Amino acid sequence: MLLEVKNLDAGYGYLQILRSVSLNIEKGEYVCIVGPNGAGKSTTMKTIAGLISPMGGTIFFNGENITGLPASQITKKGISFVSEELNLFVNMTVQENLYMGAYIIKDKKVQNERLDFVFSLFPRLAERKYQLAGTMSGGERKMLAIGRGMMSDPKLLLVDEPSFGLAPQLVANVFESLDVLIKAGVTILLVEQNVTKTLAVTDRGYILENGKVGLEGKSHDLADDPYVRKVFLGV
Amino acid sequence: MSNYTVSKFLTWTKSAAGISIVATILIAVFAAINSGPYLLVNTIITGGMLALVATGLTLMLGVLNIAMFAHGEFFMIGSLTAYYVFTPISNYLSENPESFLAVIGPLIAILCAAIAGALSGIVAEKIVFGPLRRRSSDNWVMNSFLLCVGLSVLLVNMHQLIFGAEFKGIVQYWKGMPISIADVFISRDRAMAFVISAVIVALFWFFMTYTRTGMSIRAVSQDITGAQIVGIDIENVVLLTISLACALSAVAGGSLLFMYPSYPTVGLEPLYLAWFVVILSGLGNILGAVAGAFMVALLKAITVEYVGSGWDFVIPSILITLILIFKPSGIFGSDVRGALDK
Repeated sequence: MLLEVKNLDAGYGYLQILRSVSLNIEKGEYVCIVGPNGAGKSTTMKTIAGLISPMGGTIFFNGENITGLPASQITKKGISFVSEELNLFVNMTVQENLYMGAYIIKDKKVQNERLDFVFSLFPRLAERKYQLAGTMSGGERKMLAIGRGMMSDPKLLLVDEPSFGLAPQLVANVFESLDVLIKAGVTILLVEQNVTKTLAVTDRGYILENGKVGLEGKSHDLADDPYVRKVFLGV
Repeated sequence: MSNYTVSKFLTWTKSAAGISIVATILIAVFAAINSGPYLLVNTIITGGMLALVATGLTLMLGVLNIAMFAHGEFFMIGSLTAYYVFTPISNYLSENPESFLAVIGPLIAILCAAIAGALSGIVAEKIVFGPLRRRSSDNWVMNSFLLCVGLSVLLVNMHQLIFGAEFKGIVQYWKGMPISIADVFISRDRAMAFVISAVIVALFWFFMTYTRTGMSIRAVSQDITGAQIVGIDIENVVLLTISLACALSAVAGGSLLFMYPSYPTVGLEPLYLAWFVVILSGLGNILGAVAGAFMVALLKAITVEYVGSGWDFVIPSILITLILIFKPSGIFGSDVRGALDK
């Protein structure tokens, strides 16, 4: 078991959002969390990434208890987070952003190998490596954020709402690049609002509602589930 | 390619940064021809030192989001340390004028000033800013500003209580004949003050642009969540930034001891001038702060020369007011998001 989240409670200040969320991910799996707005999908991701400290429950990664560790420590354990807001360094070039993604790797040679790997995944980034991140288009920024997340050679990549605010063509591009990563052997936990598309590409899914896991199972089973079809797909 | 470079240069000269830099150089050349090169020398020395104080201020604003109104007091700590380190050295030198300390003594004093500045910055972070940051959730800019004012009052009065209010100055750091360049005589202290600031600004720029640690400081100033995500330990960066910024200010205080003797409120003038620089050049831009420092220094020098020495704060203040009305992001701040917008 790569990631094991048990009875996780989390929230902001006195406002509790997650109530006893449990989920687990095996190595090499492509898992998604779907659900309506305000269900706590992003909160789950931020809590796993260490940006929010949990109120209760445990998070085990690779058999190690990482509950409540700060984000910088969690990144060093091998979890990389691509946030919804992307959090790029807008006044740095594409290449500098990618090197910052490999901040936890001290060996310059390994950094350059990772850079070549990311450039081979996203040739567009290689073309624009001296451009400031803040001057790129929305789709390119998503690519850069995913590329930056890959620079630290993570065991688990958390991707939050990659299709948010993108044109349909670019959404397809982002999903394609995630497919490439899965084939390269990366484990991905994906949060999405685009339920149809997400359940079509992932292995397993969790449906989050009001801060609780409503349903879980194989993605194609979930896509056929009458409740899911009625509530999320509108059929 | 060369055509591209030329057209890019022409676009640059039409931007706010281009216009102001070209205008500054023209005014400097004109003033130097009209009133003599000493004006230029004054500008360069004041500008170099101002650059040290202003880059520290920019850094504090960008990384920690603190409007640092106690920065002048670290200038004061630097000059005070340099005074107490250099006085025994200078007494020893008057008996042994041939000692090797004649050359490196002043450098030791300035180095001690830097160390004292960095240490006091760390103490300020540990007992003043750190506890507030861990406890406050909103209104950080205002609260930290009030803390800065309190810290400033405290340090000024501690100086007065412990060391007294009289001027603690030295005659000169480096003895010997002034250096003459093209009929202009520059005292060795002034020449060295410029060399020190030039070397430090260059090293600092290199550090911020190319080293892993410098890049992590820039990363934190641009996106603090992004910095956490890539594995940067924010507390370390904050501590490093505050000690660097305070050390830069203290170096300026230490190396200008021959011009500004140490007394409780010696830091006010450099503080105000550094704020002029930061407002003029825009936030979070180190090279912009360096250019802005020379502009403010020139403005001050020509005001004293052509309008009168009582006006040297009035004219820059008018300019700052105009900039805040018409271009609040500053001359070099057009593509930089203000730290206070976060």
